[in-house]
Amino acid sequence: MIELRGVSKTVMSGAQPLTILHPLDFTIASGQCIAIVGPSGSGKSTLLGLLAGLDAPSTGTILVDGVDITKLAEDDLARLRGEKIGFVFQFFHLVPSLTALENILVPMEIAGRRDAGARGKQLLSEVGLADRGHHYPSQLSGGEQQRVAIARALANDPPILLADEPTGNLDSATGRVILDLLLGVHRTRRSTLILVTHDRELADMADYRLTLRDGRAVEPVVEVGQ
Amino acid sequence: MTFVIRMALREIRASWKRLLFFFVCIAIGVGSIVALRSVIQSVRVALARESRSLMAADLLVTSNRPFSQAVTDRITSEQRAGRITERSNAIETSTMVRPVDPAKPGARMVELRAVEAAFPFYGTMTLQEGTYAHSMVEGHGALVRPELLAQLNLSIGDSIQIGNQPFQIRGVISSEPGRRLGAFSLGSRIIIDYADLPSTGLLGFGSRGTMQILLKVPGPELDQVSDELRDSFANEFVGVRSYRRSEDQIGENLTRAENYLSLVGLVVLILGGIGVSSVTRVFVQQKIRSIAILKCVGATSSRVLAVYMGQILLLGLAGSVLGVVLAGTVLAAVPSFVGDLTAMFQVDYGLTVPAVVQGLGVGVLVSVLFSVVPLLEVRLVKPSLLLRQDIPPAPKFDWLKWTVTLGVAAALVGIASWQAGSVRVGLMLSGGFVATAFVLQLAGAALVRAVQPLRYSSSFALRQAVLHIARPGNQTRVILLAVGLGTFFILGVRSLQANLLRDFAVQAGENAPDMFLIDIQTDQREALAAFVAAQTQKAAPRLIPVLRARVVGVEGRQVELESYEQVRGRGGMGREFTVTYRPQLEANESIIAGKWWDADSTSGEAEVSIEDGFLDRMQIQVGDRMRFDVLGRVVTARVASIRRVDWQDFRAGGFMFVFKPGTFDGAPQTFISTLQGPADAAARARLQAGLVSRFPNVSVIDLREVLQTIQGVVRNVSTAVTVVGALVLLSGVLILVGAVSMTKFRRVYEAAILKTLGATGRLIATMLVLEYGVLGAIAGTVGALGAIALSWGVARYALELPWDPAPEITIVGILATTILVAAVGVLASLDVLRNKPLSTLRAE
Repeated sequence: MIELRGVSKTVMSGAQPLTILHPLDFTIASGQCIAIVGPSGSGKSTLLGLLAGLDAPSTGTILVDGVDITKLAEDDLARLRGEKIGFVFQFFHLVPSLTALENILVPMEIAGRRDAGARGKQLLSEVGLADRGHHYPSQLSGGEQQRVAIARALANDPPILLADEPTGNLDSATGRVILDLLLGVHRTRRSTLILVTHDRELADMADYRLTLRDGRAVEPVVEVGQ
Repeated sequence: MTFVIRMALREIRASWKRLLFFFVCIAIGVGSIVALRSVIQSVRVALARESRSLMAADLLVTSNRPFSQAVTDRITSEQRAGRITERSNAIETSTMVRPVDPAKPGARMVELRAVEAAFPFYGTMTLQEGTYAHSMVEGHGALVRPELLAQLNLSIGDSIQIGNQPFQIRGVISSEPGRRLGAFSLGSRIIIDYADLPSTGLLGFGSRGTMQILLKVPGPELDQVSDELRDSFANEFVGVRSYRRSEDQIGENLTRAENYLSLVGLVVLILGGIGVSSVTRVFVQQKIRSIAILKCVGATSSRVLAVYMGQILLLGLAGSVLGVVLAGTVLAAVPSFVGDLTAMFQVDYGLTVPAVVQGLGVGVLVSVLFSVVPLLEVRLVKPSLLLRQDIPPAPKFDWLKWTVTLGVAAALVGIASWQAGSVRVGLMLSGGFVATAFVLQLAGAALVRAVQPLRYSSSFALRQAVLHIARPGNQTRVILLAVGLGTFFILGVRSLQANLLRDFAVQAGENAPDMFLIDIQTDQREALAAFVAAQTQKAAPRLIPVLRARVVGVEGRQVELESYEQVRGRGGMGREFTVTYRPQLEANESIIAGKWWDADSTSGEAEVSIEDGFLDRMQIQVGDRMRFDVLGRVVTARVASIRRVDWQDFRAGGFMFVFKPGTFDGAPQTFISTLQGPADAAARARLQAGLVSRFPNVSVIDLREVLQTIQGVVRNVSTAVTVVGALVLLSGVLILVGAVSMTKFRRVYEAAILKTLGATGRLIATMLVLEYGVLGAIAGTVGALGAIALSWGVARYALELPWDPAPEITIVGILATTILVAAVGVLASLDVLRNKPLSTLRAE
């Protein structure tokens, strides 16, 4: 369960304060899939970053399973992410000096899991890259890199999965594959999936939809199809 | 923990090539430290093993006058008391020898040692023909060094003339106990029987022999006996040395030498460390995204920091181990270099454990200390940068960073002090290094600024080259520092060497005297002058009377010294001086206080003219009275004047004390003479042989040979310093290569864009050559300016030589540095020229 209470974000743009996100309240129940949509610059990615604790909001509280993450120190946030949150980026963000398999192993090694090796291989085959584990990111295509990123996000079996325009940097066919993979994971693992996208079609596959424009919610969270 | 180790190893796998050069620097520094320490420690081990045989006795009592009754009585009574079990007499003196066979010309100065049967108490003298026995020298036999046989074309069985007596060569010495380590000698060693010495006539008046009594004190009271004898003989001009004391003395000197020499290694290491520091800064910048990803998937700042610290630690350790391997390789080759130095005892050169431990410790510490501050940036990387490239807020004052920086600085001073074995030297080295680095940086920055107008040059390549030099993150500073420092060392020592050798050449020039005759007896004066005049076909040489004197008291306005004991307390004044008397002031002297005596005055109060150093150091003034002991006779003389002496010009000999004629009337004295010998080597040999056969007690010092020896020493020293400079320069080159490979990706990208915009490969190559050429020229100029300042300072103030800027060395140095840096820079950047633009741009 994720709860947002009056969460806003203001940054300094030169000497001027610039509000990227106006105060926002909503709740996401466990196991739901929610799509955050809106045009570029509407504050979607910022919101996702706040949910992951990658950045701190200017006001408000964010409760993840009852814990107010805005009160946590940097290192505690890192531990929380390692344990509860998987993140998939538009630009994949794999560590270039590590092979595909090693990229997947990193979160498990940080968590100190003993079965990291075996699980890493299993995750690789789940995303269809069983034979590409020893390749470096630069030797993989965009779609393959994103599949590695998804496997990495799933490594510690987090209850929450955040994806920032996961198909935004891929051609439509490849994007389709990635999307099916993410939704499949969401369904089989019953994990909470929060997607940022400006792809209408993708947004329609979610359970709920939050539309942002200029940092404000255009309407309350709506159930898709209603 | 597994995560940290695994990630560190993975990071090394990805980036070791880029970091390699910096850790080779570490290896060179560690290698120098380990090699130098190991060599000296090996010598020490051998020394401790053989220290008794180095002196051949437990105690050595020496004097350059015959021992007084009091001294011999005291030793006899100690012997009766049983504390001294054996004694043996010996005399060392330098003299001339020549072959008895008139068909073999030439004569040589030698260091003669006459010994009794008990010699040596410890150690063995080894001869090429086997072991020494005293019977070999009995009945006018002599043992000689192989070089004398070669110099005089002699072989075993031939006879040589020593003084008035022929001796037969009965053996060739290969190693000899009782030879002082590193002692300066004017000639090679000859050993004869003590009983035969009087027959040579060399013990007559004026001999410069050192009387020795070797004592065996086997009991535990050695130190006590040695201290007691030293105290009771202190005012008898008698020295007492114990083998243990001299072992300690040499040991201390070796420790000091070890510590100081290994500072050279530390300097190279610190340059490597500065390289590590600057490369780590670039490395962290390049790793920012990876760091953010690690934080995003759950790694805390301290774990990420641990990963990169671990990486540096492993690389530092690898570099240090490589350094130890290098040192081991060098040590394997050492015996063939220093064979001569330690001919008197066996040294097993090898890596010593303390040296290896120190090397590894210092290598790893320096790597870690220099990388920790730049690595702290890791803490500030925010994972949110993966979402958007926002401008990071202006950094607040980073307390941790500054605290750590101070800690690192303190730790480095600590390491320098540890390595130097002294906090004072450690502080001086650190201060000196910081000051030098600061000056080099300042000079470098000024020169970088000075070339900035070239930005507006009409040449595109030159404009780009100059822009690149001033570009941030270009390692310009580190390269300037390392290359500049290397150039500074090499050029500095080269120009000093040039100044020194030129000065010697001037001294040994056309009209300068190049032979010294010493120990001429009063009754030989006329015959000798006539002989030399006939042989050289020049005017008769001037003979200068000399006496040996010690200052035993001063009654002055500023200084009052009542006894020799008090004089000895004034450093330097307690030694024995060679003094003369004459009516006139010499051309190389000038009076700065008081008045020179009338030329024909020989009566009245004894007067002395002193060198101005006594005024400066001892506050002895005109009108003060000084007491001198001249061969047992005490003379009181009034200080009549203070002279400044130009020591460069020694035609008239340089004397600290010159007396008024008449002071020493009737006192035994000898004469010295300087003359210009024939230029032709054969004629010189004939002159020397003729002098020795007619005046066997007279010694001839051939200044040409002495100058050659000194030039050799100067050359060796400057070669050693050049090696140091070359090591520093090498680390500079490695840092350059490292810096290029660190920032190459950016170059490749820029070159691709330029190629796309129509730049030819040739243009890009020209840009690279100009960029590194200008950088090299700046580094070379900085180093050369430093070298000029250094050689000027040392020549002017330490050596008191006229200084010559040696412009050819400066110009060659700057050109060579320019070419070196340009060549290395371009070779390290070949990828920039080779890569095809399309693949590069796609990869970005």
